[in-house]
Amino acid sequence: MRALIIDDSRAMRSILRRIVNGLGFESAEAGDGQQALDVLESGFNPDICLIDWNMPVMDGYTFITKVRDNPEWRSMTLMMVTTESEQKQIVRALAAGAHEYVIKPFTPDAIADKLELLGLRATEVPA
Amino acid sequence: MTALAPELTDLQAVVEEVWSTFVGYEHPLCPRQVPPGTPLDASVWSGAVSVTGEWQGAVTVELADDVAQAISRVMLDLGDAETLADDDVADAVGELVNMIGGNVKSLMPGPSSLSLPAVAAGRAVFPSDAHEVARLDLTWTGEPVRITVHCPGSPR
Amino acid sequence: MVSASEAFAAVSALTRRETGMIYDEGKEYLVEARLQPLATKAGCSFADYVTKILADPIERAKAMDALTINETSWFRDNAPYQAFTDVMLPDLLQARAATRRLRIWSAASSSGQEAYSIAMLLDQHLPPGWTSEIVASDYSPTMLDRVRAGRYSQVEMNRGLPATLLVKYFSRVGSEWEVAPHLRDMVTLRSQNLTAPFTGLGTFDLILLRNVLIYFEKDVRHDILRRMLPMLNPGGYFLIGSSETTLDSPPALAAAWQREQIGRVQVHRVAPALADRPTAPIAASLTGA
Repeated sequence: MRALIIDDSRAMRSILRRIVNGLGFESAEAGDGQQALDVLESGFNPDICLIDWNMPVMDGYTFITKVRDNPEWRSMTLMMVTTESEQKQIVRALAAGAHEYVIKPFTPDAIADKLELLGLRATEVPA
Repeated sequence: MTALAPELTDLQAVVEEVWSTFVGYEHPLCPRQVPPGTPLDASVWSGAVSVTGEWQGAVTVELADDVAQAISRVMLDLGDAETLADDDVADAVGELVNMIGGNVKSLMPGPSSLSLPAVAAGRAVFPSDAHEVARLDLTWTGEPVRITVHCPGSPR
Repeated sequence: MVSASEAFAAVSALTRRETGMIYDEGKEYLVEARLQPLATKAGCSFADYVTKILADPIERAKAMDALTINETSWFRDNAPYQAFTDVMLPDLLQARAATRRLRIWSAASSSGQEAYSIAMLLDQHLPPGWTSEIVASDYSPTMLDRVRAGRYSQVEMNRGLPATLLVKYFSRVGSEWEVAPHLRDMVTLRSQNLTAPFTGLGTFDLILLRNVLIYFEKDVRHDILRRMLPMLNPGGYFLIGSSETTLDSPPALAAAWQREQIGRVQVHRVAPALADRPTAPIAASLTGA
């Protein structure tokens, strides 16, 4: 299983990386939506993207709409991980094609619970 | 006109939730009794985000140097021996104020949008046409932490 | 001056006597994590706090409250809720077609995530014309207050609640989220110590007692399992935690619970031989087993 972590904060990427690696996922990172599209174009092909909303260059919402426009990326699971917690905005992200939504702050368990909910489970946890 | 302000208990809940989740429970955030207008005497880092839309305002976090460095090490998973660059502290403080600011935004009437964080080594500077509507003075490991919410316009 | 291990032993014995729950050696960290905030609030060290709760009944009640809190999440483990929607509910809808009513018991409700998770599923899948009641019971008055309020912090909301259900059933109130009034109306609250007799609760089509039995001593565990038998309506389901079992019970009790597999989930039902007979005498005849 592979995860692409998209957040403009290195601290937040580091936190998320430790969580998903601990669950046995391989990971790659991007600092904004455009960089994330570049990572996808380069062939990383993740099972799930963890996506911040507010980022410079291209925000997470725009990234989701771009991914949903490309049939090649249809099978990819998209999960927002953001401080944006207005109910209308959550509905908007889900309507645009996000599968799940985690609101910051979160505990490591919350990420694990959601991945389980999405049926994403790494087969082997590296030592 | 009086600007709409977040309830202090809600602001406190937001800050404690963000803090305990990403900094940890080991040392609690404690209240700090200071008269209004007291400047932060310690050397500080500050981060700010602004909210625009149905509700307008700015959320600022000011942290004593030691606090800013300690939380950056926790968030970036750096050991005591590893070098911590100013850039690292700016990143971690930025994410902290982003999380606090985003949750403050949700306490207020929407829709509105959140700016990217602006972080500086030093005290926060507030525009003269803004006034403070809520302030939380805290200490962490004995060092000051201050969260303020400002709204445009003069008070009353 | 009390040593840390003496303090732990004292708390452990007290908790066992008051609530029947066991905190074995090795669970020191858990006891300390749960009592330290109370000690800090009372302005004393952990060891001094233990001395305090031995002498002060009000502080003792607070400590017992903190120690019996069960960590919980929405749709915990997911699979049992999937099994409920896919298999148990359709089966119960057939079995109860005459009365068109379902009663469900969340027997150690904690802060209410289990009861409200079931409420959300019933809201979506119970056909029109049916009624339901979910009884949420707990030993802790703090927890019952929380279920009544139906309010959860951001961190709690993130634990296992699908985003589509968050936006459908919750609204923001200050820094918290509040469950929809029509879900709250589906849930009835009851104060219930699991070691005390189950009186005035009625009987149920589904009982959830997940990840609770592990906290009790063997004898208490068996007693609870015995007293659960007559609480279940014919054809009803009993759910315990995935790491819990009825198999280590005395033979008569183990045989009284029939195990069934639904996908990854093991459910319990009252064995047919027993279900044929009237319920009350069975409980009595098993009491001495």
